[in-house]
Amino acid sequence: MSLKRFILGCSMLGLCLFPGLWPVVQPAEAACGSVTCFVVIGSQQQVPQAGILTFNTMYNYTPMRLLDGTNGVIPAIDQAGRRLILDHHQEVRTITQTVNFDLNYGITDRLGVQVSIPYLWRTHKHIDGLGEEGANGEGELVPFRDNGIGDMIITAKYNVLPTLRSMIVAGFGVQVPTGSTSARDAAGELMESPTQLGRGNVGLIGSVYQTYELIPHRLNQFFYGSYRHTFRNNDGYQFGDEYNLNLGASGVPLERAPWLVLTGQFHWRYLVHDNISASLERSATPADAPDFPGETIVLDPAITNRRVPTTGSTYFAFSPGFQVSLNGLIDSPWTKWTSVYFHSQIPIMRDSNNNLAQGISYIFGVTRSFQLTKSGL
Amino acid sequence: MDVKKTDSVTTVGMVALCVMFLVSSSLVWGMGSRVPTVGTTAEDFRLLDLAGKPQSLSQYRGKVVLVNFWATWCKPCTTEMPAMQATYDKLHDKGFVVLAINELEDEAKVREHIQQHGHTFPVLMDRDNKIANQFGVFGLPVSVFIDEKGVVREYIKGGLLTEQIILDTVARIQKAEPIKAASLQ
Repeated sequence: MSLKRFILGCSMLGLCLFPGLWPVVQPAEAACGSVTCFVVIGSQQQVPQAGILTFNTMYNYTPMRLLDGTNGVIPAIDQAGRRLILDHHQEVRTITQTVNFDLNYGITDRLGVQVSIPYLWRTHKHIDGLGEEGANGEGELVPFRDNGIGDMIITAKYNVLPTLRSMIVAGFGVQVPTGSTSARDAAGELMESPTQLGRGNVGLIGSVYQTYELIPHRLNQFFYGSYRHTFRNNDGYQFGDEYNLNLGASGVPLERAPWLVLTGQFHWRYLVHDNISASLERSATPADAPDFPGETIVLDPAITNRRVPTTGSTYFAFSPGFQVSLNGLIDSPWTKWTSVYFHSQIPIMRDSNNNLAQGISYIFGVTRSFQLTKSGL
Repeated sequence: MDVKKTDSVTTVGMVALCVMFLVSSSLVWGMGSRVPTVGTTAEDFRLLDLAGKPQSLSQYRGKVVLVNFWATWCKPCTTEMPAMQATYDKLHDKGFVVLAINELEDEAKVREHIQQHGHTFPVLMDRDNKIANQFGVFGLPVSVFIDEKGVVREYIKGGLLTEQIILDTVARIQKAEPIKAASLQ
C-alpha cells in the first residue's frame, strides 16, 4: 500500500517536473503528528537581484485534530529504550505556531542564497499508556509544551530561466539540525521525535519554482515543488520523505489599486511513513487479562529498522490570500519595498492514517527588501 | 512491505528526481536570456514604433544608440526617461538616438504616457518580449549603449541614468575610448 502511494507520489511529481519544472520543501509530521502548513510567497522563492536582501517574517498557525471516523490510537516511540509500542497512545491535538525569519539575498542576478530560521511554539496533548496506565487501561492524559528554534534551512538558488515574463528557479537546501530533540513531557518522559522542535539530523531539500505572467503585470501563474529527505537521527528515528506541490495564480484585481494582489493556490503534500530502529511491542488488551492493564508485551525483541504505522499522509488544500504592497499605498521610508500578506489554508482532502490531521491554518507576514549594494531594481 | 524495500524505492525516487531535474534544466537553459557581452556586436532587431513604422537597430548604424527597456508601471524607468529626453534633445542632431523599447504593455496606455510626458524619441513595442530576451533583460529598466559600429559599449541594469551619465557615456563612445566593463554597479 505504502509502496503504491510512494510510486504514485513519484509519478505525479515526475509528470509535473518533466516539462521543465520540479519539486520540494518544508515542515514535519509523525507518530504524534506535527506539521506546519506551507504556502508560496513569491519573494521567498525567487532569486532577488544582485545586492538585494529580502527579509521575510512569517507567522504560521497550524492546528491538528482527529478526523471524524478515526480514533487516533497510534504507536508510542520510546527512543531511549528503542521500543516501538503498538496502540499505546491516543492522539488528542497538536497546535504548532511558527515564526519564520527568512533572509533571501541575491549574490548575482541569477544566483541567490536563502536562510530560514524558524521559531516554534508547540503544544501537544495525547493519552499515554493505553493498556498500561489507569484502572481500566485507559491511559493518562499527558500535555506537552515546548518552544524554541527549529531546524534552520540554508538554500542555494539559481534562476535557470531569467526573462521578464517567466522564471524558473532551482534550489538546493540543507536543513541544519539546530532544533532541540531533548524536550520532555509533563511526566518527564522524552518526547517522541516527531513532536520535538528539531529533526535531529541533516535533511536535503530540492526545489523548483516557476512563474509565468499570463497577463503582463496583472495575472501571474506559479508552481512550486519540493522534495525533502531527512537522514536518521541519533535516536534511531528517520522522518519519511516529503513531497510538496503548489500550483496557483496571483493577480491585481483593480488596475487603479496595483498595491493589492489576490492569490489562490492549491497545495498537495505527500509524506512517506517514518521509520525507527527499535524492538517491537504492543500494549496489553483486555484479552490479556489478568495482565490487563499491565506491562507491554514484546512481539520482537530485535532492534531493527521498522516502519512506524500511522505515519505517512496525503494532504490537499486550497489557500486563498492577499498581499498589500505598502510601498504603493503609503509614501514613507518605512514602507519602501515592503509588503504584508495573509493566507489561510483550507483542507480539501486529508488522509491522515488514523493520526492527527491538519486543520485550517493561517499565515500572515511581512516582507521587505533592502538594497545592500548599488545595482538596479 | 519491508523497510529495506522502502528505502531502495526512496533512493530510486531521489535519483529519478535528480535526473529529471537535470534534464528539464538543460531543456529550459536554451530558452533563457543572455546578457550581450560588452565589446560584442549587438544582434539586430526589428520592431514597430508607436506610429506603426518599422524600426531596426541596423538602420542607426553610424550613430550612438541608447536602447532602453522600460514599462509605464516601472517607476525607475519613468524616473530616468526625462534625462533620456533631455539628452536626446541635445544630441539627436549629433549622431545620438534613443530607442525606448516598451515591454508587454497595451499600446494605448504607452501612447498616453508618452504624450503626457512629451517624449519625442522613438518608442518601440516589444509585444512578445522577444527583444528583451535577446538582450538578456529580466528586470526593468535596462539601458544598452551601442556604438556607431553596432558594438555594445555599456550595459546598465536599473534606473541609474541621469542626463550627465548619458552625456558622458555618449561622449566617451564618440571619442572611441577603450571599452569599459559592463555596468555601473
